[in-house]
Amino acid sequence: MQKLPKKTVVIVGGGLTAGLAARQLTAKNVEVLVLERGGSHAGSAAATLPGQRDELRWDSHQGLVQDWSIETYTLRHNGNETALPARWMEAFLPGEGLGGAGNHWNGHTWRWSEYDPQIRTRYETRYGKQAIPKDVSLQDWGTTYAELRPYHELFEKLFGLSGKAGNINGVIQPGGNPFEAPRDGDYPQKPLEITESGLVFKATAEKLGYKPFPTPAANSFGAYVNPDGQKLAACQYCGHCERFICEANAKATPQVLLYPMLAERKGFEVRLRCHVLGLIYDEGGKRVTGVRYVDLLNGQEYEQPADVVILGAFTMMNTKLLLTSRIGKPYDPLTQTGVVGKNFCYQASSNMSLFMKDRWFNPFMGAGSAQLCIDEFNNDNFDHAGLGFLGGASISAAVYGSRPIKTRRLPPGTPRWGTEWKRANAEWYAHSMGLNAAGSCYPHRDNYLDLDPTYTDAYGQPLVRMNFDWRGNELAMSKFVTEKMNGIAKAAGADIVGPANPLKAPFDIRVYNTTHITGGTVMGADPATSVVSPRLQHWDAQNLFVVGASVFAHNAGYNPTGPLAAMALRLGDDVASYVDRPRDL
Amino acid sequence: MSEEDHDVEKRRGFLRQLVGAGSALPLAPGLAGTVIADMAVAVAEPAAAETAVQPQAASPVAGYICFGPEEAAFVEALVNIMCPADEFTPNGVDCGLATFIDRQLGGDFGRGAKRYSRGPWLAGKPQHGLQLPLTPEQHFKAGLAAANKASVAKYGKGFDEIAPADANQFLTDVAAGKFEDPRLSLALWFNELVYPLFTQACFADPIYGGNADKVFWKMIGYPGLPATNAVNMIQYRGKPVPQAKDPKSIVDFS
Ligand SMILES: Cc1cc2nc3c(=O)[nH]c(=O)nc-3n(C[C@H](O)[C@H](O)[C@H](O)COP(=O)(O)OP(=O)(O)OC[C@H]3O[C@@H](n4cnc5c(N)ncnc54)[C@H](O)[C@@H]3O)c2cc1C
Repeated sequence: MQKLPKKTVVIVGGGLTAGLAARQLTAKNVEVLVLERGGSHAGSAAATLPGQRDELRWDSHQGLVQDWSIETYTLRHNGNETALPARWMEAFLPGEGLGGAGNHWNGHTWRWSEYDPQIRTRYETRYGKQAIPKDVSLQDWGTTYAELRPYHELFEKLFGLSGKAGNINGVIQPGGNPFEAPRDGDYPQKPLEITESGLVFKATAEKLGYKPFPTPAANSFGAYVNPDGQKLAACQYCGHCERFICEANAKATPQVLLYPMLAERKGFEVRLRCHVLGLIYDEGGKRVTGVRYVDLLNGQEYEQPADVVILGAFTMMNTKLLLTSRIGKPYDPLTQTGVVGKNFCYQASSNMSLFMKDRWFNPFMGAGSAQLCIDEFNNDNFDHAGLGFLGGASISAAVYGSRPIKTRRLPPGTPRWGTEWKRANAEWYAHSMGLNAAGSCYPHRDNYLDLDPTYTDAYGQPLVRMNFDWRGNELAMSKFVTEKMNGIAKAAGADIVGPANPLKAPFDIRVYNTTHITGGTVMGADPATSVVSPRLQHWDAQNLFVVGASVFAHNAGYNPTGPLAAMALRLGDDVASYVDRPRDL
Repeated sequence: MSEEDHDVEKRRGFLRQLVGAGSALPLAPGLAGTVIADMAVAVAEPAAAETAVQPQAASPVAGYICFGPEEAAFVEALVNIMCPADEFTPNGVDCGLATFIDRQLGGDFGRGAKRYSRGPWLAGKPQHGLQLPLTPEQHFKAGLAAANKASVAKYGKGFDEIAPADANQFLTDVAAGKFEDPRLSLALWFNELVYPLFTQACFADPIYGGNADKVFWKMIGYPGLPATNAVNMIQYRGKPVPQAKDPKSIVDFS
């Protein structure tokens, strides 16, 4: 294996977190090499008209998603089962190529609840020590919202968010989210245009006494120039956002806002089509000395030495690389010791459909984050005393674009084909809307990641095994919030209200849920229960840092990118300081 | 809308006749398109004659790349049952649905592109997704043969020969798991392979051979491309969008 000249910082993965950390590092003249397994989508059919609008290629056939023939995951719902590989994964869709999943994301960009990083303390203080069931391994993150707040501010300006502030320095703002963590000021841009279904949702929610607000969006309301001079154009509401690359440069993504700028910076290099196989670990010295990767352009394996390594390769790969490189103690659910792989969480979602003959919803006009939302039943925004579960969900009416292969809402009882099927499609496509509950998912002692004993990837390495199912807490939570969602549906004056089905076990890989998988390399103040420190520094390798949703110790009823982006920016500053003066941060 | 449908019906009918009569007449796709377009033009607007030489997205290109004659007969019967000619669309074959399925199975999808295909092979729960060493093309054809056998057992005839009402019932029963072949689950075959291909054939961009003449997009009022709706969002919020009457596809912009 050829050994290459050393780099100061090597980042594994060329996605969203890598781009943000590299922005901070290169601003301080720290040399950065990004190793990305995929290529660049810029200028390809995925990113230009008319090819961009191809639902079959980019959505049904997952054109931008990780290649499952190379790398997939196995799943077992319980420890006494044999895990089987997802041969074609639908449940979540990790990205590949420069920009990562940050290219084909939707752009809902939250700051989580102010109390989220102290979740355990919060519940115990509010409901007593017994409130958290024994098998729900909620733990504090070792950081605070206040610490991350300046980086949220920065990220939102960099990505030009469109939204309506709900809480400016503690003062609740009408029209915004009253449960929002305090912010310094308004969003950089006005909220996206409201859709017809948003109008229905808003009127109904207000009638019921809730406070609806537009979801903070990384879809650009107008033309926008960020603090780096990088530009976004106005969103066209084309309905090809999630799972697609925005050809109009109206979706804030690493490919538009970060990598072209970084390419101009001194000391920055991206090596595309380099698949990282492992970290080189000096266990005695508690350091990593570099990474090993296959250059897909020539099939050769290389050793890339580095002063500092950052893992930004998304939840599953971050965890896998630590496990295969034997850094940190793997989690064992029987003894509940060890840390790598623990607190693997997902998003507990449910949804339903409304049909209104006389309203033109025109669901093809939409954007990734064109949605109205309420937060009354999210997380711990409501009193859980006596409810028998913890957590909650945001409830929203979204219009992502109802592309016709996947999204045509049909009333219950519609036949699956034939003339009556066509009639129902013709009658209801433009006259239906959806509601969604995006719920929290709290850690459970039996939900964790480890290495599969049998199945391997294309490089001969073990697949990550998901030991995961929806457990009692999430099932009860989903039942509760789905009923609340049903209340909104019934009050909306629809001609037909579709069934209100809460989440059901077992977890099903055949149905898209969200790509918000979290945990596996969780952060925390205690090395006995966390993989990385509150500054994202590995407890067992001082010059190794991990970033992304894999460091979340639980998942909230929000999308993950706001906090993980804030952490990536902070990490960039931290690592710059570490390079200057290596130490425990 | 109904006027357009008639037009489509007429053109399809013409194509059928041509193909039916046509062993001596080699129908290149472009040529077929030209002939059809000319017909329509002659009846409707002579002024559009120049555009008529453009090959149209409208015509399902005749011929199959992956189905043998018996498989083709099965699939044609299947799509015509699932999509009968009615006030909404021409029959499934004329909508290009069989063509779409053939092309998909004959290409990347059919060969299992991006699917994880290492062993060992074990039976899982449905929630694990299909666990088959077969490629989708092989699976489709194996299921087709098993379904045909089930049809013969039940009706004394292959699927493409049974009466439409029986065929419809047969598919319903297959989907509900009433005809499980001991070696292959026909319900999984239908629900997880055939049915998604059917809906894709109807609603994918016509460049893939289905959804001929954007007939399904017209049916539901999906405008297709270019979908630059910044103005429409406001102008047509809560109102019908004019573009939905005349959808455009990738072909129209290529
Ligand atoms: C369909 C979809 C919709 C989404 N919508 C939202 C949303 O609305 N709101 C929200 O907050 N979040 C959303 N997300 C999630 C969001 O995309 C992620 O949170 C974000 O991209 C995470 O950044 P990351 O850097 O951790 O990972 P990514 O941006 O995915 O980057 C990881 C990169 O690492 C590369 N990589 C992986 N393994 C290796 C290896 N071994 N060697 C080299 N490179 C490797 C990958 O190819 C990838 O490019 C969505 C995701 C998807 C898929």
